[in-house]
Amino acid sequence: MNIFSIPPFIISLFQIALGVIVYTRNQKNILNRLFALLCFVSSMWLLFYSFGYGRGNSEQNADLFFRIGYTGVIFIAVIAFHYTLKFLRVQNIQLLIISAYFLGMIWVSLLWASHLLIDKVRLYSWGYYPQAGILHPLFLVFFIGIASTISTMLFYFFWKKRDQLSTRQISQIKYLFLALFVYNFASVDFLPNYGLEIYPLGYLPAFIFLIVIGYTIIRYRLMDISLAITRTSIFIATYSLILGIPFALAFGYQERLISALGKNWWMVPLISSTVLATAGPFIYLFIQKRAEDRLLQEQRRYQMTLRQASSGMSKIKDLKKLLRMIVHIVTRTVHLEHSQVYLYDSTDKKFFLEATRNKGATKPSAVISIDSPLIRYLFGMREPIVYEEIKQRTQDYSDAELSQVEENLRQLDAAVVIPSFVENKLLAIIVLGKKLSGKLYSEDDLAVFSILANQAALAIENAQFYEDIKRTQEQLFQAEKMATIGTMADGLSHQINNRLHALGFIAGDALDTIRLKKEIKTPEEAQSILADLERSLTRIQDNVKQGGEVVQGLLKYTRKGEAGFSPVDFSQLLTASIEMAGYKVKLDQISIVKDFSEDIPKILGNFTQLQEVFFNLIDNAYDAMMQRKVEQKEPDYKGKINISARRLEGKIEIGVLDNGIGVKDEDSRKLFTPFFTTKLSSKKGTGLGLYVIQKIIEDNHGGKVSMSSEYMTGTLVTILLPTVN
Amino acid sequence: MLKLLIVDDEVDIREFAGNFFRKRQIDVFTASGGNEALRLIDQENPNLVLLDVRMEEMNGIDVLKTLRNRNNPVKVIMVTGVENTETIREANSLGVAGYIHKPLVLEELEKVVLKELQ
Repeated sequence: MNIFSIPPFIISLFQIALGVIVYTRNQKNILNRLFALLCFVSSMWLLFYSFGYGRGNSEQNADLFFRIGYTGVIFIAVIAFHYTLKFLRVQNIQLLIISAYFLGMIWVSLLWASHLLIDKVRLYSWGYYPQAGILHPLFLVFFIGIASTISTMLFYFFWKKRDQLSTRQISQIKYLFLALFVYNFASVDFLPNYGLEIYPLGYLPAFIFLIVIGYTIIRYRLMDISLAITRTSIFIATYSLILGIPFALAFGYQERLISALGKNWWMVPLISSTVLATAGPFIYLFIQKRAEDRLLQEQRRYQMTLRQASSGMSKIKDLKKLLRMIVHIVTRTVHLEHSQVYLYDSTDKKFFLEATRNKGATKPSAVISIDSPLIRYLFGMREPIVYEEIKQRTQDYSDAELSQVEENLRQLDAAVVIPSFVENKLLAIIVLGKKLSGKLYSEDDLAVFSILANQAALAIENAQFYEDIKRTQEQLFQAEKMATIGTMADGLSHQINNRLHALGFIAGDALDTIRLKKEIKTPEEAQSILADLERSLTRIQDNVKQGGEVVQGLLKYTRKGEAGFSPVDFSQLLTASIEMAGYKVKLDQISIVKDFSEDIPKILGNFTQLQEVFFNLIDNAYDAMMQRKVEQKEPDYKGKINISARRLEGKIEIGVLDNGIGVKDEDSRKLFTPFFTTKLSSKKGTGLGLYVIQKIIEDNHGGKVSMSSEYMTGTLVTILLPTVN
Repeated sequence: MLKLLIVDDEVDIREFAGNFFRKRQIDVFTASGGNEALRLIDQENPNLVLLDVRMEEMNGIDVLKTLRNRNNPVKVIMVTGVENTETIREANSLGVAGYIHKPLVLEELEKVVLKELQ
């Protein structure tokens, strides 16, 4: 052993380690076994060559070492061939494999039984080295032949049989090409076989070759190869410069520096290496970023789009719209075959398909149960899962649960599944199909999708809250109506009571007339009594009718209105609202003036809700006017409500103006807050009226309500509503 | 002849209660609101006033207050629907002869009125 043996010796050890690592990863997979074998024969080559280099050896020993080593070299070609066939899943390869090993055995016998392959050893500057025998060129042909066959097969599968391969396999093939390309440089080692005095550095490319292949076997998530090459090249280039410049200065320009600076010439290399070492990382990052930006332009573009979409999502309150937006953006920007969003329903305990976008023919399943293996796995992982990885893991570990997850993914035709978690709740899952380009999903991609999914979770939660609130609001409206009925109880019962009272008196008087008349002497008397009775009965009927109307009006009011919008005629709406108000208060004390033309546009809205609005406004106006009348005691005061409506920029502007007591400045801010009232008694108002009006007009109808008031003069409420186009 | 003033904003009450008492040789006047009532009280000096509490223009309590402020001791029977204790206490402090709760049949009313007119 000498100094030149050390590098190959160390590398042979690394190769053994690599083989062990890959083998222990998955002993059952043939590829792992073949690769381990490849590592071992490769290390056999380097190990025994490193022994052979030593000048202390006798020629005999050196010859023995090299022959052992060369046995390894022979089998490198054969096993690589075997590996490729298995990797590409070529069928019916038994014969091919046997022939290859057979040929290998022939070369081995030639190696050991004769000098035809390896003749003898020769002493070079670094040590001994085997010399080619007569048949060695033929061996080269054999070796190159196998290498070309491997390349051709890989190329053929890549080009022609692309669709039979998974995206991961396609990526692996690219890496294998790279590995082969690198391995070519190992052929410098054949040169010294022919007498050329060149130190055999082939161990380096050989080692890189194995590392690259090992990477494709072990790593589930392969970096995009162009990215890998770029990063590595930039790294090597940058650091060669950083280390190379001081080195060159120190060794190449030594004399010139000594003549220039004398004793302290070494400061130049030292300073330059310090400066470059400090700047090194920055230079590297700068170049890397530029290179990758260019390389990953397409990817960066859609990642940026997705990031923007993420931040815009929380603004969408409509749940369905939000989910549709997610699939739309994802499918469009990333160019996928399809994508779906499944939303969790806590009552059914299932994930339902809520939005889908499909460029292909697959029909996605509509329901995923929470007990499904996929979901349980997601709860464990809490990050995106990639189908290719799961498939590979299933093959490596034959885990029953994992293969169920793989099955689930296949049924969904999912390339990636991204969970949307909020704390410990899985709100939704986003399923992504394959990219149309066939490319793999990169780490960057998955990182951006994770952000998207997290934002989506928050946005979904938001939208769900909003839906809850709207439902609660509906209940609030209904409750407000019920509460209002409470305030109307007085007015209503007063009216019903009066009807009963009147009915009693009318009937009583008629009865009384009949009882007082003991005998009827003349036809005129009879006529007179009959006329009286007729009058009484007519009045009874009228009172009953009146009472009936009050009851009907109340029932109509309490009924829960239909949801949804339709064209509403303002005149009809106003009439209904006034009728409603009439049950609570006596409207003949005030005058209501209608100030609008026939051709005002119809409102687009909900009749029941709008009736509630105008009923409340009229009621408020009435109370304000009564309050003014009672407090101010102006002699000629007459309450008046002026209701106007006109077209305004495609909408309808309605004004309700009263000459009531108005609102004091300090109260005007609190007007729309719930439970605030300036009314004299709680019998008159719940304090919810203006609050509900604002919610109905602004939140539900998308309109505007504003109020201006002057104490002792009156109040104007202005309402802006959308119209039917 | 005894004079009775019926104050109520319901037309049927005024008409049919009026009919009833006129058959009993009682002079009946009617008023539909507080102001008219006060005018008729001054003018006719009735023996008894049937005064409805809930009226829009001026409620019965205010009429009563005005009367008592003018030191008019005329007998008043309040006719109430659903009233709270507040109103009743106020009426009491102003001095009333009694209460009638709506709805009421005429026979009952007759008893009360005839008793007070004695």
